Amino acid sequence: MDAKKKGMTLLAKQRAAGWAFLTPAALMIAIMSFYPMVRAFMISLQKGTGANMQFTGFSNYQRILADKVFQQSIGNTFLYLIIQVPIMLVLAILLAQLLNNRDLKLRGLFRTCVFLPCATSLVSYALIFRSLFATDGLINSVLMKLHILDQGYNFLGNALSAKIVIIIALIWRWTGYNMVFYLAALQNIEYSVYEAAKIDGANGWKTFWGITVPLLKPTIIMTFIMSINGTLQLFDESVNLTKGGPANTTITMSHYIYNTCFINVPNFGYASAMSFLVFIMVAVLAFINLKVGDTRD
Amino acid sequence: MTEKKNKSAIQRRLIPTYIFLIIVSFISVFPLYWMISAATNTSTDVSRGRILPGGYLAENFKNLLAQQPLWKALGNSFFYAVLTTVVCLLICSIAGYGFEVYHDKAKDKLFSILLLAMMVPQVATMVPLFQMFSKAKLLNTAVGFILPMISTPFMIMMFRQNARAFPVDIIEAARIDGLNEVQIFFRMFFPTMRSTYAAAGVIAFMNAWNAYLWPKVIMTDNNSITMPMLIANLITGYVTDYGMLMCGVLFCSIPTMIVFFVLQKQFAEGITGAVK
Amino acid sequence: MAGEQYAKDHPGFSVNVIETSSDDCQTKLTTCANAGDYSTMPDIVLMQDNSYQKFLLSYPDAFTDLSSMDINWDDFGALKQAYSMKDGVHYGVPFDNGGCIACYRTDVLDEAGYTVADLTDITWSRFMEIGKDVHEKTGKYLLTSEAAGGDTIMMMIQSCGANWVDDEGKAYIAGNEVGEKCVDIYAEMIQNDVVKLVNNWDEYISTITGGEAAGVINGNWITATLMSTEDQKGLWEITNLPKVDGVDSATNYANNGGSSWYITSNCQNVELAMDFLAKTFGSSTEFYDAILPETGAVACYLPAGESTVYNEPNAFFNDQPIFATIVEYSSHIPAFKSTPYHYEAREAVNTAIVNIVGGTDKAAALDEAQSTLEFKMTE
Repeated sequence: MDAKKKGMTLLAKQRAAGWAFLTPAALMIAIMSFYPMVRAFMISLQKGTGANMQFTGFSNYQRILADKVFQQSIGNTFLYLIIQVPIMLVLAILLAQLLNNRDLKLRGLFRTCVFLPCATSLVSYALIFRSLFATDGLINSVLMKLHILDQGYNFLGNALSAKIVIIIALIWRWTGYNMVFYLAALQNIEYSVYEAAKIDGANGWKTFWGITVPLLKPTIIMTFIMSINGTLQLFDESVNLTKGGPANTTITMSHYIYNTCFINVPNFGYASAMSFLVFIMVAVLAFINLKVGDTRD
Repeated sequence: MTEKKNKSAIQRRLIPTYIFLIIVSFISVFPLYWMISAATNTSTDVSRGRILPGGYLAENFKNLLAQQPLWKALGNSFFYAVLTTVVCLLICSIAGYGFEVYHDKAKDKLFSILLLAMMVPQVATMVPLFQMFSKAKLLNTAVGFILPMISTPFMIMMFRQNARAFPVDIIEAARIDGLNEVQIFFRMFFPTMRSTYAAAGVIAFMNAWNAYLWPKVIMTDNNSITMPMLIANLITGYVTDYGMLMCGVLFCSIPTMIVFFVLQKQFAEGITGAVK
Repeated sequence: MAGEQYAKDHPGFSVNVIETSSDDCQTKLTTCANAGDYSTMPDIVLMQDNSYQKFLLSYPDAFTDLSSMDINWDDFGALKQAYSMKDGVHYGVPFDNGGCIACYRTDVLDEAGYTVADLTDITWSRFMEIGKDVHEKTGKYLLTSEAAGGDTIMMMIQSCGANWVDDEGKAYIAGNEVGEKCVDIYAEMIQNDVVKLVNNWDEYISTITGGEAAGVINGNWITATLMSTEDQKGLWEITNLPKVDGVDSATNYANNGGSSWYITSNCQNVELAMDFLAKTFGSSTEFYDAILPETGAVACYLPAGESTVYNEPNAFFNDQPIFATIVEYSSHIPAFKSTPYHYEAREAVNTAIVNIVGGTDKAAALDEAQSTLEFKMTE
């Protein structure tokens, strides 16, 4: 009787500690993200600017249906998502796996090199990609020397190639970033698991798919959600590399929303409505991902 | 003897890996090289696409110092980034630990809800956030700078995922030893998860260091200039001096690289032994 | 700078200058204003002329009416005043001149057998003839222009005193006769290698520094960029713009960019701020003479153009007195109907042009632009 009572209080204590541990973070998120988001939702039901906002109901959401440029931006963004995210994540896992090998020399140096792109400031990254892919840039010079091209190709001036440049730039910049998470997670896989696999005669490729990938699953889900989120809110590359051009064929949703707020005559009601749509898209995709991936319980 | 043979055999088998890594490293490092090289050239040479280093670094640096408060910006950025990183790691790791170790239905639900916050687009919340901070008289303060950045669902998620590998046995054993829950976190979890902290630290530092839009909006006086703002100022006006710009960009990029280089050993070298 | 000048006569006065890039300044003002909190705005702001109308439309109470200011407004060109006016009320003191100039490389022209005089007071069709010839003989482009966010098409239509909106401010792209002529010429020039269409500002600059462009047409602030290419010193000369063929109101002058000073409603001492602006930017040629060498900012203030400082020959431009010339040009720029939807219109028309060059039917492309702009104008 006594023991049971004591056990209960211990459990209650632990439970209380659990809640106490996550309260500061949860509170901050509620104040810094959810409250402003609720406010933004209210704004999305209004039109006008500054102090002259009026309630208009869902007309801003209806407006999306008539906005061809925004619809185009949705298409562009999803194209980036579908092509870039899988390539990037597979590459990141592969690199993390290679760089986790204890027999490899100069590991620290290689790791730092692979990570460098995301530490490079956006300004220089955008500048260099623009100059690399310029009509008289390095890529064109090399292709011309190899006689693949007769004259410089305007990579950023054509819809398809401009999209490809953006995808390449994204992979270049974010692969190392994702690799960091995989490297950290690989530490949690016991080395003995690999030893065992080796004894069983599994080759590198088999261990990779048979052991590494399943064990990295939580991290893969996490990076996947993060990448979906990052890509659907993609902004810098569209603004800095192509300005959304040629003729809006590379513009992203966030870029268009930003223009609506800060470049064009400000329309925060409409911008908030579009933001909400982005939010819902990300949330839906993320939860599909979690449901498919989370098999712990 | 055999061991030596074995080693060289292993290295031989790793040759394709080395080649692959060298190619990837080259592609990754090239823009950095270009940036350094551009910082040593005149503006005109940079825009003409010169790739070789020049002898103009001192001049660019001198111009930069004359035009912009470089040291102040570096100092500010460093202060804000370190402050944000420390507070962020503390709050988020405790929360991640809390969610994982004491997980039950209610907490899992809460976690899912918090995850939603990650997906909130920044453009949408900027005006309401600004209103809040202005009312709370937090404009132009360090607190105002760091508050929106210190608790992110992403960091919590990362600590939560990694806490799964933290053995329950250790916690049980510590409880029997009479440690309370807070002590268990700080004495057991904290030292064990060094690799996770290091990785999270790199990411948090990088995000805070590069933060631009929000700081720009709430910091209104010249004294609180940060490196990204300084870079933006260099592109202002009708003429951009590309050589000087790249010199500034170099100063903006180096700290993150150093932080990474210092911490990468922590999160990539084997510390699995400690967990057992 | 201005603060120092003013403080000489008014001890105890000091100005705290906050430097912010133009885009960021707009982001910040928009955020503050939309949050309904003007308290973080500085007393006086310098703002892009192309942006001001949209701010005035969206946040009418953010700026101070300057009607009572002691200043002779006609010392500024009519167009410059119009940028910062609404319903006959002045809100801004014009400062930075955006008057357009055409700059040409005399060495390249020489190689093709032309002089800058051949390009002065001409029409765009003549420009195109010369441009084709220059491209054939030298492989260079007589004009370089940005595809997205480029201003060439805006300068063309505005040099005719027209715009992409009608007198009531409604979208007027499809069926706009003057506009269509501009689009025709511009598209034809791109297709005939007279104009090099580039993707962004860096490429724009590198066509100049790299010597690929034999000519540049832009707001006069472009001279600062040209002058940073020191090995082209003495090779450039400036003149006026080509004008659009077959349009009665066409001129050889236009404006692109520039900026004016505004007093925000957050200013606690409006009288002092007004006096400061009036005594410096609003009336002092000595003041403009003093800031020209250091900032390269060319005045909108017309009397400034008569001073000796403004008339000094400029070695980079083959000893032309470019600053006086620019001020003189800016007095000829025709006024046009300005619109808060400047950037939307520019974006829509540039998109149409890229599509036309890419093979889309002209009428269809312009109709599309028309409906895009109309859409942006509705709430």
